[in-house]
Amino acid sequence: MKKHLVVSWIVLIVITGVASLLSILDVESSTILLILFLSLVKFLGVSFYFMEMNRSNSFWKVAILLFVTIFLLSATIIL
Amino acid sequence: MDKSVNHKNIYYPPGGILMWIIIFLELITFGIALISMMYMSKSDPIVFHESRLLLDPVYGFINTVVLLTSGLFMASSVYEFKQSNKVKFKKHVGFAILFGIIFLVVKFIEYNSKIGAGLILGYNTFFNFYWLLTLFHVIHVVVGLVILTTLILSSENKIELADVEASASFWHMCDLIWLLLFPVIYLIF
Repeated sequence: MKKHLVVSWIVLIVITGVASLLSILDVESSTILLILFLSLVKFLGVSFYFMEMNRSNSFWKVAILLFVTIFLLSATIIL
Repeated sequence: MDKSVNHKNIYYPPGGILMWIIIFLELITFGIALISMMYMSKSDPIVFHESRLLLDPVYGFINTVVLLTSGLFMASSVYEFKQSNKVKFKKHVGFAILFGIIFLVVKFIEYNSKIGAGLILGYNTFFNFYWLLTLFHVIHVVVGLVILTTLILSSENKIELADVEASASFWHMCDLIWLLLFPVIYLIF
């Protein structure tokens, strides 16, 4: 198995664990946004490394980043 | 389409342009639903908080790990296909399917406990979102499993890289949707 895929997987699992622990420790709005931010980092990790979008045209990279930004901004405004 | 496809071309992202149009439509649909859920929680924060406490985040955590592991094997299977390691390719697709099935089993156990406790569709706004979003996601996982099973049962000579990448992209889309669902439903309210 490719080393960079295993490293990506380990990082994704660690981030999942950290986000889950944060939700147990605290429910402040800043923590909520941090949990969402960490989840979107995982989202980018899967799309860029597992789905190989790092090899795609800039249009697709920008589209993914735009989606993530709009989602996080909307959540920030609402929460 | 063969191994020489240039993914830097705007029309040929890994998985194909039509698959990526589907992926973005799905992400936008789920994204709007989740933003709506956050917006609705503002009018009834106590109900959303108490309802969230009725969910067991351990199920959500396990399923996140399971789907990410499945995604790892799927990504690895694409790599093995490109290396012409057909045996390893099928083995890794098999593991991706196995972890997909484990996801469904964990979801079934969770659904069973919720139905047993009377936390069904219509119980309150939080659980309406919970059931509609997670069931819609489960349908995607089932469709993904059918696609992967078709891939593994196909004759080796008939499979092309484009088919493998498109199937992998659909499967990873299930990961992406779950990565949006997990924090909003299980963690933040």
